[in-house]
Amino acid sequence: MAGPEPLTGNSAWRTLAEFAVPSEPGNERQAMERVAEVAQRLDLSHRRLERLKTAVAETVMNAMEHGNNYRPELPVTIQVLESETDLLVRVIDQGGGQLVPDPKVPDLEAKLASQQATRGWGLYLINSMVDKMNTTTGNSRQTVELIVHLEKESHATGAR
Amino acid sequence: MPPERVEVGVRQKSGVAIIDLHGEINAFAEKPLNAAYAEAEGSDPRVILLNFDSVDYINSTGIALIVGLLGRARKSSRSLLAYGLSEHYVEIFSITRLADYMGVFSDEESALANAPM
Repeated sequence: MAGPEPLTGNSAWRTLAEFAVPSEPGNERQAMERVAEVAQRLDLSHRRLERLKTAVAETVMNAMEHGNNYRPELPVTIQVLESETDLLVRVIDQGGGQLVPDPKVPDLEAKLASQQATRGWGLYLINSMVDKMNTTTGNSRQTVELIVHLEKESHATGAR
Repeated sequence: MPPERVEVGVRQKSGVAIIDLHGEINAFAEKPLNAAYAEAEGSDPRVILLNFDSVDYINSTGIALIVGLLGRARKSSRSLLAYGLSEHYVEIFSITRLADYMGVFSDEESALANAPM
């Protein structure tokens, strides 16, 4: 299960799972459920698990669509890692050289008035659902890291 | 293309059009959802309810579809309401501010009781 070192700087990571899905519409849900199977064994409340699932599904969907152009022969790789304090989900596509834009708050009023496309919620949702999101782009692949703190729920109530 | 992962039905109750949704609200839902909305508009109701009781997945494309329906409702001076969302998707509707523009209720009874007639 070779992979890049986590971007978070915490070297004490343990890989819990690694798998890949073909870049075909709908496969984000399969990836989401497999990550959830692993994550639900950890110290995550139902609410935080549901938030992680949405973040994973949206990130994998972005990777399949924007990174791999929905080419089924190009896989999206998903790694699930755990440290003492955090859960890390890495989503890797083949879209090297493409920068992931900064998440912006969508302008719902402009969308309702047909001044903007109704789409454009993915990155905002991802960023809202996890404690931290990192992105890195190389020549041949792009990696997004989703980080969720493994806190007791009583400590996590202030999280977004 | 995989088979559609959503089933949609339209019914009338107390002068309100109710769109019953089952399954996933994502890109595969675009055609059936828009067709159901057009059918619901056919009776020219003041209020259209979206019933999410049997929906187990909504993604960002699904959010965009709902934004599109909300835009159509506003243009024709209708109210679009929602009920039956799970706790997680109520939070998503809050984060996206959809809940600021459409009433979100726990069940059909409370949605109908609060529907602007």
